Amino acid sequence: METLLANLALGFSVAFSLENLTFALLGAFIGTAIGVLPGIGPVATISLLLPITFGMSPTTAIIMLAGIYYGAQYGGSTTAILLNLPGEVSSVVTVIEGYKMARNGRAGAALATAALGSFFAGSVATVVVAASGPLLTSIALSFGPADYFSLMFLGLIISAVLAQGSIVKGIGMVVLGVGLGLVGTDVQTGQQRFTFGVPELSDGVDFVAIAMGMFGIAEIILNLERPESRNVLTNKVGSLYLTREEFRRAVPSVLRGTLLGTVIGILPGGGASLSSFGSYMIERKVSKYRHLFGTGAIEGVAGPEAANNAAAQASFIPLLTLGIPANAVMALMVGALIIQGIQPGPRMVEAQPDLFWGLICSMWVGNLMLLIINLPMIGMWVKLLEVPYRHLYPAIMIFCAIGMYSINNNVFDVYLMVLFGLFGYLCSKVKLEGAPLLIGFVLGPMMEEHLRRAMLLSRGDVMVFVERPISASMLAISAIALLAMMLPNLRAGKEKAMAEGG
Amino acid sequence: MSGHLTRRALAGGAALLATPRLARAQAWPSGPIRLVVPFAPGGSTDLTARLVAEGLGQRLGVPIIVENRPGAGATTGTQVVADAAPDGQTLVMSNIASHAISPALYPNLRYDPVTSFTHIAMVITNPSAWVVNKDSGIKNLADLVQAAKARPGGLDMATSGAGSSNHLMVVRFCELAGIEHTHVPFRGAGPAMVAVIAGQVTMMSDSLPSAASHIRAGTVRPIAMSSAERHPGFPDVPTFREQGFDLSSTSWFALSGPAGMAPAVVERLHREVMAVIATPTNQRRFAEMGGTPGDMTPAEFSAFVASEVARWAPVVRASGATVG
Repeated sequence: METLLANLALGFSVAFSLENLTFALLGAFIGTAIGVLPGIGPVATISLLLPITFGMSPTTAIIMLAGIYYGAQYGGSTTAILLNLPGEVSSVVTVIEGYKMARNGRAGAALATAALGSFFAGSVATVVVAASGPLLTSIALSFGPADYFSLMFLGLIISAVLAQGSIVKGIGMVVLGVGLGLVGTDVQTGQQRFTFGVPELSDGVDFVAIAMGMFGIAEIILNLERPESRNVLTNKVGSLYLTREEFRRAVPSVLRGTLLGTVIGILPGGGASLSSFGSYMIERKVSKYRHLFGTGAIEGVAGPEAANNAAAQASFIPLLTLGIPANAVMALMVGALIIQGIQPGPRMVEAQPDLFWGLICSMWVGNLMLLIINLPMIGMWVKLLEVPYRHLYPAIMIFCAIGMYSINNNVFDVYLMVLFGLFGYLCSKVKLEGAPLLIGFVLGPMMEEHLRRAMLLSRGDVMVFVERPISASMLAISAIALLAMMLPNLRAGKEKAMAEGG
Repeated sequence: MSGHLTRRALAGGAALLATPRLARAQAWPSGPIRLVVPFAPGGSTDLTARLVAEGLGQRLGVPIIVENRPGAGATTGTQVVADAAPDGQTLVMSNIASHAISPALYPNLRYDPVTSFTHIAMVITNPSAWVVNKDSGIKNLADLVQAAKARPGGLDMATSGAGSSNHLMVVRFCELAGIEHTHVPFRGAGPAMVAVIAGQVTMMSDSLPSAASHIRAGTVRPIAMSSAERHPGFPDVPTFREQGFDLSSTSWFALSGPAGMAPAVVERLHREVMAVIATPTNQRRFAEMGGTPGDMTPAEFSAFVASEVARWAPVVRASGATVG
């Protein structure tokens, strides 16, 4: 405990230097700005800014890059809530309730919830990372391929329930999502699958193309079709901040989301996205206000936002203790460190204590900066909704197209996005949900990869899934969930609950 | 190339003829230079490109824009440069995937790794390190072969992906040793290394820059280095040849442009790249990453690419990996 305090003191002394504070603020600001531009993600920004960091001290450089990362995460939630545009996997579920809240005139409250929930989750996760990083690493290492498979299987099973209409349609969309996820080069053999000879498809369909198409573009088409709904947003902006009632409702969801995000975030690969999906499911099952889900429930914003921020923080653990980046942004940060002559890895804690602890404390500082930047700006963001559609929609389309192009510098992805926009429009016409499709798209290929790896390593013995305790318990929970869905009498009860949820 | 310049300078009568070429050389660079990286940001190709871009931009006095065009085993971005005008404004970070392995892997490739390009300068080369889980009891390649024979299906061997140079090395080694193996590909070196540290997979063939920190930290044990000689940064790790296997392989990152670039531009670029990688800071960075700075003339580099293509084609066939 004393060493922890001493370490944190060292960290804060680093993070609170004028230079580092300035760059943390600058990073958070740039991150927020690019986060609200649809599709222009942190990867593109950080790679553009990388050369600037060559001249900085490594600690300052990494603090600024981390600021961009958090800022972009938060900015992504802003567009998800206001414009139905999820730019990141983790904001897909924020869209579901957040955009409905915005349509109900509670955009300000949704944004404030996201900011406060993220800040709280970030603060808790920072302490957890500082106190038990190495311990958590050993937990992450104990997850083998079989365990990952079972965890993701569980995720897919419960994601079918995400659909607000019929279970069959939900499962159908999950399966379609899994199918889309299989497009591209097979990891195991290098074979091309479902690419139809199109070279641009050999690395798969880009997540952003599906997400922006299915949600953002489809929503624009839908809105243009219904002129009478155009005034809904502008007329009912409502109070900018949270009412006492809303605050009270959000608190338990934030707590649950934080816990879930911190636990799942340490798993390299997919931790952050799983945690926000998972949190939404939990809220929908256990919240006292679950009957309001689907109409703009604040719990559906508070929980997932807290979970994804906690997970984003916790995903630094594998990077800092193992030197293994959990995603593309982390890979760029490793790159920045290597260029500075620092090899991230197990020895970093001892070799560069000021960098290690400075970064951990700057995570918290970065979250604080985001709160400072964003709370006053909520009024401005909400004003964005008052921009007439004839100006707003072309602007969104242009930014979507630029953002999409900038990911791979490839026009093909822009066409794909348009295609998914049309598909998303058709889906809403026949009441098919986009969220289960995206979850299938993200989890399906990971699940396949872990399944095949587990089978390779066990030489084809399926018993490996039930012999490992972690895997066995995940499968048991999945079986219970499946049974609950399939047993006719239980299912009737579920449908009743769904009907209540509207 | 310098011979060419001297000859031109001496031949006064050729001045008229040489003028347009000279003018073209002086006009270069005519604006920002595009450096295409055929991989996503954050990888070793990307990092090397950004290091080169920084120094080269300063020396040439124009910005170098690094443009990531990932996809299809590095062939998407490489094709873009093969199709570009040979005016020296568009270059590619060529590498073992785009110019040695993918030509054998992708039968429908539109570029020829040798004739579609002007090969300019080798930037950095690095060997692969074979590492094992530290509780595996395997201390050298002989132990590895023995362990492989003892397990049905051979030993589990992790790599960063099917068709990567590391995968192909594993294939070649098992041929030489006459053993079976179970190839366990991952999406990138990071997750594969985690699996080896955690003991889920026994062994991994990894390029030295990504394995170096784990070897130094002692979380995995190195058993062989794929360089021809022992690596100066890891003098205790024996090579494959020392352990009786005729196998050596180095991964490389280099600078190339479209076919038909003006010799004067090529000469200038080669000279400046050599100057950039010779700075003490970059030498230190390369050493930290476990790489060796390149040292080849453009002609030598071209011949090297041709030899790489010839060398990997049969291994790709043996691995059974094909695309398309």
